[in-house]
Amino acid sequence: MPTTPPPRPLLVALLVAAACAVVAPSADLAAEANKPAAKRARAAVPFRLPAAVRDAPDGASFAVAPIDRTARDSVRAAAARIDAILAERHARDGVAAPPSLSDSQFLRRAYLDLGGRIPTHDEASAFLASTDPDKRGALVDSLLESPDWVSRFYNVWADTLRLTERPQKNLWSEAYLDWVKRSIAANRPYDEWVHDMLTADGKLWENPAVGYQLRDQGMPLPYVDNTVRVFLGTQIGCAQCHDHPFDAWTQHQFYELAAFTAGTRSGTGGKPEKPVRKEMRKGARADTTDATAKNVRALIAESRKRANANGTKVNNAFTQFLQANGTVVNFRNRELKLPHDYQYDDAKPEEAVAPHVLWGEVPEEARGLDGRAQFAAWLTSRDNPQFARTIANRMWKLCFGVGLVEPIDDFRPDNPPSHPELMDHLAAEMLRLDFDLREFVRIVVSTEAWQRRAIPYDATTGEAFSFAAPSLRRQSAEQLWDSILTLVAHDPWAYERPTGEAFAAAVNLDLSGKNPGWEAAHAAFERYEDSQSPRKTRRQTMQTYGYKGQLLARASELPTPLPLGHFLRQFGQGDRETIDGNRTVATVPQILAMFNGPITHAMLERGSTVVDELAEHDPPQAVDVIFLSVLSRLPDAEDRRLALGEIRGATDRPTGCGNLIWALLNTREFLFIQ
Amino acid sequence: MNLPWLDSRLARRGAIARIARTALGVTAVDALLAEHQSSFAAEPLPSGTNIITLFMRGAMSHLDTFDPKPGREEQGETGVIQTKTPGIVFGESMKKLAGMTDKLAILRAVTTQTGAHEQGTYLMRTSYPQINSIRHPAFGAWALHAAGRRPGDLPGYVLVGNGNDHPGSGFLDPALSPVPVADPNAGLENTIRPAYLTEENFERRLSLAEKVDRDFKASYGGNQIEAYDRMYAEAVRLLGSVDLEAFDLSKEPESVRDRYGAGTIGKGCLLARRLVESGVRVVEVEVNGWDMHRELFDELPTKAAGLDKALATLLDDLSERGLLGTTLVVLATEFGRTPKINENAGRDHHPAVFSCVLAGAGVKGGVVHGASDERGHSPDSGGISVADFNTTVAAAAGLPWEKEFHAPNGRPFKIGGGGTPVREVLA
Repeated sequence: MPTTPPPRPLLVALLVAAACAVVAPSADLAAEANKPAAKRARAAVPFRLPAAVRDAPDGASFAVAPIDRTARDSVRAAAARIDAILAERHARDGVAAPPSLSDSQFLRRAYLDLGGRIPTHDEASAFLASTDPDKRGALVDSLLESPDWVSRFYNVWADTLRLTERPQKNLWSEAYLDWVKRSIAANRPYDEWVHDMLTADGKLWENPAVGYQLRDQGMPLPYVDNTVRVFLGTQIGCAQCHDHPFDAWTQHQFYELAAFTAGTRSGTGGKPEKPVRKEMRKGARADTTDATAKNVRALIAESRKRANANGTKVNNAFTQFLQANGTVVNFRNRELKLPHDYQYDDAKPEEAVAPHVLWGEVPEEARGLDGRAQFAAWLTSRDNPQFARTIANRMWKLCFGVGLVEPIDDFRPDNPPSHPELMDHLAAEMLRLDFDLREFVRIVVSTEAWQRRAIPYDATTGEAFSFAAPSLRRQSAEQLWDSILTLVAHDPWAYERPTGEAFAAAVNLDLSGKNPGWEAAHAAFERYEDSQSPRKTRRQTMQTYGYKGQLLARASELPTPLPLGHFLRQFGQGDRETIDGNRTVATVPQILAMFNGPITHAMLERGSTVVDELAEHDPPQAVDVIFLSVLSRLPDAEDRRLALGEIRGATDRPTGCGNLIWALLNTREFLFIQ
Repeated sequence: MNLPWLDSRLARRGAIARIARTALGVTAVDALLAEHQSSFAAEPLPSGTNIITLFMRGAMSHLDTFDPKPGREEQGETGVIQTKTPGIVFGESMKKLAGMTDKLAILRAVTTQTGAHEQGTYLMRTSYPQINSIRHPAFGAWALHAAGRRPGDLPGYVLVGNGNDHPGSGFLDPALSPVPVADPNAGLENTIRPAYLTEENFERRLSLAEKVDRDFKASYGGNQIEAYDRMYAEAVRLLGSVDLEAFDLSKEPESVRDRYGAGTIGKGCLLARRLVESGVRVVEVEVNGWDMHRELFDELPTKAAGLDKALATLLDDLSERGLLGTTLVVLATEFGRTPKINENAGRDHHPAVFSCVLAGAGVKGGVVHGASDERGHSPDSGGISVADFNTTVAAAAGLPWEKEFHAPNGRPFKIGGGGTPVREVLA
């Protein structure tokens, strides 16, 4: 124990009061010293942090499928098999294993990788104090069945699937995003989940899985390119336009694959066409016999008529509301023709192409189904090795920071896995687990390899990665934001994204039958605007959950894409237009945001988690509290000496504590996951 | 350029050096100060040329801007306008630039191999195709590497746009990567310390962070950590700069701001002028939204008019301030768009031919180099690769484009990618 003088009542009182005013030490501090602590706190300056996040946490609003704790032995056995394969390879290659993680280091990595955030002070204390011999396994299990896992895993898929609420003006995808979150919470088997996305029909908020097909609405060829890239780890994009001597795929093969899904329609009612454009649209797919599309066109035409009569402008928001309601995904087998400038000898331009898969064959039970269903069956089949391999590789990279195949969407004969035996084993495990991704991750993080100290790695050195431990990674933008949020908000789940049900109830207008008439349609639009429209709800949301213009909610709950200047974008969150767009490049504005940004200020405000934690502990424990809260570990002797020196040497204790909290936040140790 | 605050800036530098020394350790400071020497001390730079690049992301249609095909189906709905140069027409939105072709070099037959945004953007920015085994430096990083940054605490390279998918410094010193400014209106954010935080306490915080980090730094090294160490040092340096005002557009009279126009393009060009004026050598302004697969004739006119207004104003403004002779202005994009209009009234990706524009230092105005065929589909004459284009930029900027530099792995690279400069457009 450090040798501090026994705390005098005045000192205690000052600390409590001052800890509540770390940001702006009041000139009245001395005068306040005579009041009891609690009263002092209440009588002080009003809180700048919103009440909603200062309240005691009551968790997330959704349930998560429980983990099977009885399976822990089998998880350990499966992990041991992975370790055995790695050990054999390491022996052959002469790779030395880094030391195992200390409890603190394991604690921090587990919370970040499985929960998307650092642990709270109490969570850290509890884990470090626990004497349960299987506390690590227990921690993994409890994290994986928590809303934190859902939030973390959602961020991963949001980046890959380019999740955004409004990918186009007529696509209102709120329900789709919520559906992804709930699918993770329910631990839907991955193959079924993907199959849903590839074959869903209907409106976005009636069958939210259609959001996947709609993401590339109007671009049927890039749709195929992106789908094969994400789920089969294969790049065929260049073949969309031409053969290439170095690529395996020909343009003809690309079109053969695209022929399966060419009949996907979204029946969007469009603008009435200007004469010249109608000509350009020769051959366009808009099917005017579709009732919904007809109704949408009629209502938009009516809007235009009324606007002309009144001398006003058409209300674009209403037009978009109609178009959003008119977007209905459905499928009808349709022929795909080669482009007009097809230049190769194997077929003629504008010739129809018969659908054909890239490898293997369409599963027998699917052969009588429509093109889209056949494509989905082939892609997600257990007999399609590339499907299991791709997702196994992605999940491995999620845990270790590097894939066995890199880049993860570029499996090629001349780009083999760095550890072929392990790749085969992991793909087999994925099948054994029936595509239970959470269980797969559970096994991977239970390996000894995962529980060793990280190895710095740069792919561009040309060296292969040994996987004797995970690579040293910077926290992702979302992990970093959520971690600082943990230091700010007692209740980080106070704000959650709107549910699909709430959204559907507010926005739905049935246009599939008789035309409801302009009045009824416009009334429905106004009801939506009043209850759910982002414009109207934003002010309310910011009043309740905002601080200095920042919505204090977990990254998974924030609307995307965020503006370029937002903390999350600055730290590399993508614009949701690029697949796997997240980056961890270092920039100066990131550092400025950590130094002086609103979220850092929030952390030092009265009512924040870390400031309140300090107030609850006696001053000699302040150093431990700060280290545990920010770095998830206790200070060693040198740390303690430095920290106490700072607290004593600063103008006053609260300033010293503030300096220490800020300093720990701005270490590389905080930023990286060791 | 008269910079009246020079004396106080030198005094300020002392303070920053002191903070940085105590907070970050001596080696970091020495590295910072060493940057003022060019890495090629034996090669004095012939011209102190600044470079402002306007990068139109998404693939700007050449047919609706600088290379229209009037009277043909490929023209679409975009009208044409006669320029100051006989026989040369622009798309009707480019009104101001049409009146300034004597100052511009138009390259109408740039050709590339890739029609994918990520690869095309990378190629245009680094002059090399994107591959997994190396990170090539962006052109601006090369310029700083060869020419050095100007004295002062402002960065040598600023990007108005998204720093996360920019090639940055590649395998060069991380300090050569551009400082990204997300929103030119907001400028460089988070540079103001809260009122309660004294400079002394800021110093204490930095010093404490460094000391607590000692064990971690002793255990872990590598490029990522190093890059962050450099960024911390750069951030501290920048915070101490008296020239931070250069990032603040509200210091400009409203009349000037109106002249440049609204949006990223207008504000970005104005910010670029201010930064170059204050000693930033390289500025890139990234403008999104050119990927017009749908409704091009609805979307393009406003966007093109915005570009026209901003670029014309930038050239006039630089000229009025006596900076055009030492500032090279580059307008580029990653590839062109299809002559054939698609069923959504848009144009799709088209690598075979597209247009770029040069003006300012080292450039001969009134020149049109290269021509596309009658449809705007392929080069007809004067076709140049992206590397040729970037080498031309390097030559105009007085950079050593013939010199071979070596990456850490020993591979040789050239600024501009080893292409052949187009003599016709060089002054």
